[in-house]
Amino acid sequence: MAVAEFDPPMQAFDVIVVGSGAAGLTAAWHARTQGASVLVINKGMAGRTGATITTGGGISIAGQTLQALGLPGDPDDSEEEFLADTLRAGQFLGDQSLVQSMVTGIGAEVERLVALKTPMRIMKRAPGHTSGRGVHISGPDIQRIQLQAAVDAGVRFLENFQSSGLLQDRDGRVVGITGLDRATGEVRSFAANAVVLATGGTTSNWSLRTAPEELTGDGHAMALQAGAELIEMEMLQFLPCCLVAPEMWRGLQFPWILGPQSGIRAWLLNKYGERFMARWDLERMELSTRDMVAFASANEVVEGRGSPNGGVCLSWAHLPRDILDNYFRISSNVSADWRWEGFDMTPLVDRIRAGHAIEVAPAAHFSIGGVRINSAGETAVPGLFVGGETAGGLHGSNRLSGNAGAQVLVQGKNAGVAAARFAEQHPTRAKPGNDAELTERLVGPLAQRDGAAPSETKRRLTQLAERALSPVRDGVSIKAALNELAEIAANDIPNLSTRQPERPWNRDWTDALECQATVHVLQAALISADARTASIGAHRRRDQAKISDAPLSHGLVRGTPDRLQHRFEPVAFSLVSPAA
Amino acid sequence: MTTIQLRRAGSPKDEWETIDLPSPAEAGLTATSWNKVSVSAALAWIQRKTDPSLAFLLSCRRGLCDVCAVRIDGKVVTACTTPVRDGMRIEPTKDKLALAGTIIDISLVRRARI
Repeated sequence: MAVAEFDPPMQAFDVIVVGSGAAGLTAAWHARTQGASVLVINKGMAGRTGATITTGGGISIAGQTLQALGLPGDPDDSEEEFLADTLRAGQFLGDQSLVQSMVTGIGAEVERLVALKTPMRIMKRAPGHTSGRGVHISGPDIQRIQLQAAVDAGVRFLENFQSSGLLQDRDGRVVGITGLDRATGEVRSFAANAVVLATGGTTSNWSLRTAPEELTGDGHAMALQAGAELIEMEMLQFLPCCLVAPEMWRGLQFPWILGPQSGIRAWLLNKYGERFMARWDLERMELSTRDMVAFASANEVVEGRGSPNGGVCLSWAHLPRDILDNYFRISSNVSADWRWEGFDMTPLVDRIRAGHAIEVAPAAHFSIGGVRINSAGETAVPGLFVGGETAGGLHGSNRLSGNAGAQVLVQGKNAGVAAARFAEQHPTRAKPGNDAELTERLVGPLAQRDGAAPSETKRRLTQLAERALSPVRDGVSIKAALNELAEIAANDIPNLSTRQPERPWNRDWTDALECQATVHVLQAALISADARTASIGAHRRRDQAKISDAPLSHGLVRGTPDRLQHRFEPVAFSLVSPAA
Repeated sequence: MTTIQLRRAGSPKDEWETIDLPSPAEAGLTATSWNKVSVSAALAWIQRKTDPSLAFLLSCRRGLCDVCAVRIDGKVVTACTTPVRDGMRIEPTKDKLALAGTIIDISLVRRARI
């Protein structure tokens, strides 16, 4: 069945930013301040979707940088220390030019937030850092203030628009974007001199996750198809001690906050009551690093010592009740009546007080890998810029607390400034060479009635990710997942269908478009996980024969979806050597 | 049997659809009863299994973003943090803002939209 398409004239902007979280809005504000006309395109309602609103709120910044801004900071904490901590946490796999850019660039962005009268407090504790460096701004606050600043600067918005492909001229230069207007059901294209992708991470592709619904990796898939390179796609940060049940609370990090994150000595136990962290970190036990606790917990499940719903037990039963009763005095996250975010957690706390353990598991939390950029936010594709969680390479093999907050602000700015400059220096009205192809793929599912059900394909993809790309990995599972994914890509993806023909708010259709992106993102992650046979940071292989003595290398993926190619590139130790 | 009443965007004030939910196990959920399941999960089940045209939104799943806001038994709540109750009545928070299904336009950038 042919589907007739609307064909309104393309509206044009200097810079189009995809995504309205902190990275996208920072990019938009800076591009606009450089004089560019800017459109922010968002899959949902601007300022109400994406991960920013859900963040803990830490933003890493060196003590001396804080002092230079007139804020209280540790006078002994330098940018060099901040850089060294970040590189060490990522086991020196991090791109040093990106780390340098973050540690030196965050001061100016915090200064901008201070000028915008953003409520913030100075942090005294920053897990994993050698100093208590950082400021804290709540997720809803930073989201609200950034949105208002962008509106005030004259940034324009298009909401409920699901971007699905980058328009490119015959030379591959990005000249615009195509997608689906969810509210009207129209397929529309917009011309741009430069595009910034700030679509967040890929963690919505895991079933147990802290992430909101949108983070399917649409930006990663668009960048890959346009010819950009992805880096360290096997690296995913899991947050340990998240709830697995009941359904409504799945993925909530409340037990983590009520326990290890606050320094409270809750015990992690397997089904035999064994305190299994003793096998991995006898000194710090449950207060070990997030990646270690996540790995150890997942490992208990893999080795058959997990709890009934595929987790492990977190217990406060050895502690006097007073510790919990006084919890609200040490944490500003939870109120005295146990309200946390939008939930009343009293029933859970009552269970803990009655001596029950809580079933917890590591939840997909943050995409460490992503699109490869340089410190200006440029990709390998002319006209395409990326910043924030969509970009990879900064954190190496593991991310320190507060560094995502610093990343989204600095990389958002860099991408926005670079995109505005590129737009000014290289204006184009070249005709796209790939618009028909993009539109055909976009409307494909709407023309089919009885093919693969998008919600079912989605479910299969998240289960596959959960099995093969958990905190504990092995080559056999990864290869099995690659085979299953190839089967889904060949049979289901071209046959994704919608059960009803109405265009507006057609969830089957929008689910289908997300599946199209997810399949490429998971393919890139699995290929990368398969190639990296040695464990490092967040990527832990059970089947690793010995500690690798190969040089430390970035894992890179590029190519068309049906022929993705992986290669390694030695890490350049331009500033600090691991031996130092 | 758990039953909910639904009134969608564009429907008259007194037009309620009655929707029977199967047991959570039959719906593919691990929960033992619907009162451990959010209204958002119930809406998702309805869209996937019985009514593909049902429009609803969900983002943060923890009561922060408000895109899933609905009116339940007269009170405005977030669907993601509200457990299912037998006989509950779900409708858009405000007919004037209703776009489709339970979706309402609560844009924060209305003046800046193209």
